[in-house]
Amino acid sequence: MKNTNKEGHSKSYKKLQTKKTLEEILDIAISFEKTARDFYTALIPNVSKNIRYLVEELAEEEQQHFDLFTNLKENSEVKKQLVKKINTPVEDHKFSDFVKLVDLGDNPDDQTILVYALAREDAAMKQYRDLAENAPKGELKDTFSFLAIEEAEHKLELEKKYYEIIHSGGPGM
Amino acid sequence: MKKIDYRDKGSILNPLKNLQFFARKPITEKLEPRPASASYRGFHINDMDLCIGCSSCQKICDNAAITMVEVPSIKEDAAKGIRNLRPAIDYGRCCWCALCVDICPTSAIEMTREYVHTCDGDDTDSYFVFPSENGIHDLKFAKGWTKTEDSDLLDRIRRPMGEMKPEARINNFDEVVDGFTMEMAVEEASRCVDCGLCEDACPAHMHAPNYIRSIYEGNLEQAVEWMYETNPFSHVCGRVCTHICEDACSLGRVDENGVKNSQPIAIRWLKRFAMDNVSKATIKHIAQKGKTHIKSGKSVAVIGAGPAGLTAAFDLAKKGHRVTVYEALPKAGGMTRYGIPNYRLPEDRLDQDIEVITSVGVKINYNVRVGTDISMQQIHQENDAVILAIGLHNGRSTRISGSDNKAVVKAVDLLRMIPQGDKFIAPKSAVVIGGGNVAMDIARSMARLQMKQHNKVNVVVSALEALGNSFLADDEEVSESLEEGITILDSRGPKQCVISKGRLTGLETVNVLSIFDNKGRFSPKYDNSDLQYHPAEMVIEAIGQSADITLLGKDLIEELDWDRGRIKINDNGSTSVEWLWSAGDMVKGPDVINAVADGHRVANDIDSYLTR
Repeated sequence: MKNTNKEGHSKSYKKLQTKKTLEEILDIAISFEKTARDFYTALIPNVSKNIRYLVEELAEEEQQHFDLFTNLKENSEVKKQLVKKINTPVEDHKFSDFVKLVDLGDNPDDQTILVYALAREDAAMKQYRDLAENAPKGELKDTFSFLAIEEAEHKLELEKKYYEIIHSGGPGM
Repeated sequence: MKKIDYRDKGSILNPLKNLQFFARKPITEKLEPRPASASYRGFHINDMDLCIGCSSCQKICDNAAITMVEVPSIKEDAAKGIRNLRPAIDYGRCCWCALCVDICPTSAIEMTREYVHTCDGDDTDSYFVFPSENGIHDLKFAKGWTKTEDSDLLDRIRRPMGEMKPEARINNFDEVVDGFTMEMAVEEASRCVDCGLCEDACPAHMHAPNYIRSIYEGNLEQAVEWMYETNPFSHVCGRVCTHICEDACSLGRVDENGVKNSQPIAIRWLKRFAMDNVSKATIKHIAQKGKTHIKSGKSVAVIGAGPAGLTAAFDLAKKGHRVTVYEALPKAGGMTRYGIPNYRLPEDRLDQDIEVITSVGVKINYNVRVGTDISMQQIHQENDAVILAIGLHNGRSTRISGSDNKAVVKAVDLLRMIPQGDKFIAPKSAVVIGGGNVAMDIARSMARLQMKQHNKVNVVVSALEALGNSFLADDEEVSESLEEGITILDSRGPKQCVISKGRLTGLETVNVLSIFDNKGRFSPKYDNSDLQYHPAEMVIEAIGQSADITLLGKDLIEELDWDRGRIKINDNGSTSVEWLWSAGDMVKGPDVINAVADGHRVANDIDSYLTR
């Protein structure tokens, strides 16, 4: 069962490097969220029941992002921008760092899961931030900025959760 | 002067004399109230926000003119010492003595210069008044009698507690606090206004006003009797309780209108004094009170001999149940023994609490680790009910780079080694990561060991939180640590443990610009350019703890309901598994008095379950 806890899509970064339109980038972003959702969903039965809530929440949050990005792609204003080409950062390994095969072990604890999730959100946030910097001014740039903010907020929430669980023995302690 | 006979009815013409007024035009003289003097004791006003509902005004009123009225719109907060009661005044009884004003701890109730109130015969209830900030007629009158430092009836300053000097305590584990003398204790007890806010706030609802009064009367046995009604860990709580009661004490309020410096009653130290001055034999005798001699025929197993488990065991044994406690370590007390150093809680005092508990018939099996030496299944089969109270004995790691080095250790593991008598060679230099009381405990223990072994203290505490409001450790822990030569670096985030050729050389930290967001949740902002290196032979992590639930086994873990990482319990400590209850730090977080309260709750529920 070892491979159960490994996230797939190692080719995502290469794909990202070659895709140049907003539509293609959004497709990768959606795929990234979907992969994460499926990864966490598959992880749920493999963790101890006392920390299952944590993985369930992560899966749910990724589903929400998946829905958000999918709706974004369908948005008429965004659609107009979808075909515009942008420069993707050439030496960016942030997405790839975490879409590579990651082994959390057979029975990861809450801290391992949180550290992984934090790092993953951090990578996504930086990726979108760089894309926003490279995009021309206008709705295209705004869209990537929006995505970066979304990931940053997600990461912030995870950091709060991390402190409450790890630094004090549990929420409310 | 002519004497008038009492039978004299006067002239028959007398009534006619009144006729002289018949034709006169009536004259009405307008009567304006004269302005009252500056310190006039007129009608009361009460600042609803300053008033805490302590009822001191009601208690001091000799005429019983004050009734405390419940105001549902005011939110109660026992931990902060706020009740939703506010005084109503019966001016048919009030004699305007102003004692209510002079006793009020917050100066909420005052008097104005307003003194006129009339009504017709049907409206006499209007003399029963619920004063607000605007007074009886909702007219703003100037203040009359208000409290000054001279008229304040409260003794605001607590009797100072003596402590061993830093240079005398730094190379040993002797208790730091001296304790009260009888004279000091009586003086301190005399400050209490018997408002009972402390009892409301205490998780175990200890009868603090009663035992304080007993101490004041010099009746220490009676004081201990009051304590044992709610707390079999009174020696422990007399020393290391988080004293939520003192935070709620009405004397601890800053008097916004008058006295600025006001200190709560030293309830914890009074408890310590009474317990230390009553013999062990007498305490054992007191503890027996209420114990039934009728055996119930039911048996209960308690896993973990900490405050929660042993409080439950104490109650259940007194109710006639057979109680067996399973303890993995060689002695009882849980974190109070294996987490709190001797200089704060001497072992002999903890031993005495345990001895009293076992004297009511509690049996403790030491060095038995459930899950290894005996299974949960066997314990379940041999008992009618099981209590799980194993505490939080696993230390968390930062898992920063280099934290897997053998010279990076967890505070709870080190603190456990010290009272077990393990020979421990202290490092010449150590950095502690963390800012809570556990961090201070290990830092101060390490400083003592360093002084003994190396004649020099070199301990640095690196904490995320800034000293002041957000710092986790108690103020006294911080100040005493500083006195003992420990360096506290606040607002520092650990970046990495620096390893050179496999050996730890120190810790790198970065500056924390801010730690919480505007909602008070963790949201750190770092300044990575502000990097510091702290050389150390050992890095000690004291950031958090968790429960080791492996003893439950996979099946029971799966069968139980969980609540965000902790076993889900109802208000009585019952889990989703019928025969299992859980209590103490592992479900409520680390706190001795909360654990004691939890033990009582669980014992009550189990007793109801076994005797239904």
